[in-house]
Amino acid sequence: MRQRAGIWVSLFWLLTAGTFAAALLRVAWFTPEEATMGVIQKVFYLHLPVAINTFLACMVCFIGSVGYLTQRQSWWDDLAAAAAKVAVLLCSIVLLTGMIWAQSAWKTWWTWSPRLTFSLVLWLLYVVYLLIRASVESRQRRAVVSAVYGVLAFLDVPLVYLSVRLMRDIHPTSITMEPAMRLTLALWFVPVTLLTAALIVLRYRLNRAGRQAAAIPAQPAQPVALRLMGDAL
Amino acid sequence: MNQTAPMSPLPQRPCCMGLRQLWALVQKDLRIEARSRQTLGLLVVLGLLVVVVLGLGLGQQQGSGFQSTAVLWVAYLFSGVLCFEKTMATERHDGAMAGLMLAPLDRGTIYLAKLLGNLLLMLAVALVVTPAGVIFFHFDLSANPLAFVLVMGLSILGFASVGTLFAALVSSSRLQGGLLAMVVFPLSLPLVIASTQILLAVFRDGRPLAGGSLGILAAFDAIFLTASWVLFEWVLEP
Repeated sequence: MRQRAGIWVSLFWLLTAGTFAAALLRVAWFTPEEATMGVIQKVFYLHLPVAINTFLACMVCFIGSVGYLTQRQSWWDDLAAAAAKVAVLLCSIVLLTGMIWAQSAWKTWWTWSPRLTFSLVLWLLYVVYLLIRASVESRQRRAVVSAVYGVLAFLDVPLVYLSVRLMRDIHPTSITMEPAMRLTLALWFVPVTLLTAALIVLRYRLNRAGRQAAAIPAQPAQPVALRLMGDAL
Repeated sequence: MNQTAPMSPLPQRPCCMGLRQLWALVQKDLRIEARSRQTLGLLVVLGLLVVVVLGLGLGQQQGSGFQSTAVLWVAYLFSGVLCFEKTMATERHDGAMAGLMLAPLDRGTIYLAKLLGNLLLMLAVALVVTPAGVIFFHFDLSANPLAFVLVMGLSILGFASVGTLFAALVSSSRLQGGLLAMVVFPLSLPLVIASTQILLAVFRDGRPLAGGSLGILAAFDAIFLTASWVLFEWVLEP
């Protein structure tokens, strides 16, 4: 049983690494350059899948928060914490790739365009989630505080989206792409999504292990000499 | 006097009961504030100080008047956070929160009472700080003063509804001050964005107040009021 699970895990990593390599190769050599943006446009193939996966991670965090508040079981909390951490990582990538795009397209690293503002606010919301977790000492209390925040932060996301739409937009909304480009984009979705899921699961298992380790009562420290003597005997 | 009357409590319909409880709680908070006069003075002066500091910092570059929305938001945010912290801190003395939780009240009523008290204080702050911000930065409100009041009023309602919830959460978690600001500011950012854009559209571009954009503020208020009201009973701790 254990061995079979091991095979599946290996297969999963093989698939992720394989599609990632294929996506990199494809974007480097087998995708035509965009006419106006040139080679910089290729950052888009990473940008969009990561952006979509950011929302997925935020949603997992929301589900974990609601689950904790209704059922009060620690694994929900661990899941929400894991997802929030991954969301911050992904959102950072979205922001960075977005800024690279902005610099080449609009000759400025930052402009208060709706999408850029939206990703910045999203990033701030989930960075604060991580900070809250770090600043509450009691485990139970931390879980409650961060779950309440996790729910409200996710409810905030559509509101931020609606409010930034009141701003003036220079962000491309619909892009007409060649079939070759579309295939590259679709190919990028696979490794990014797999990697997101894997990161959340790994982080979740780390959180669980940390909780179990904290539950083990500390062993009384044994003087080194005594321990050595015990080993010798 | 009338010995034949049965000694039974007055018959109360539940809705009136809730309103009476709410009013009693608000009255209690207002009475504490009226007697101690601790919070309001602090809030008003803090708000004015923020306006003055920003006015001096911006120096002579001001003029278009549209900085005043940003200035007012900074003033509201800072005095708001202090307000929520202070009104919740009164419950920490002498086990007042435990008393409130033991009282036969719906927890939602406690939330609404706190929110109402905070709103009254914020209204008082806004009444002083807003004219200062408008006059110092030459913001011409004459085009549509009602729109300004409506937009800012709805925004402060949303801001206070989040702030009241997290004040209870943070105060009972014995966290350091400053955390409340860190939690409430990012959550309130959609209000800042939406209200600023609406005010710019009305006063700079001379467009009429659009119901759709005002709807975002109303939606924020509705969502956060409901969510906070539901979540509040989970966060209370003596």
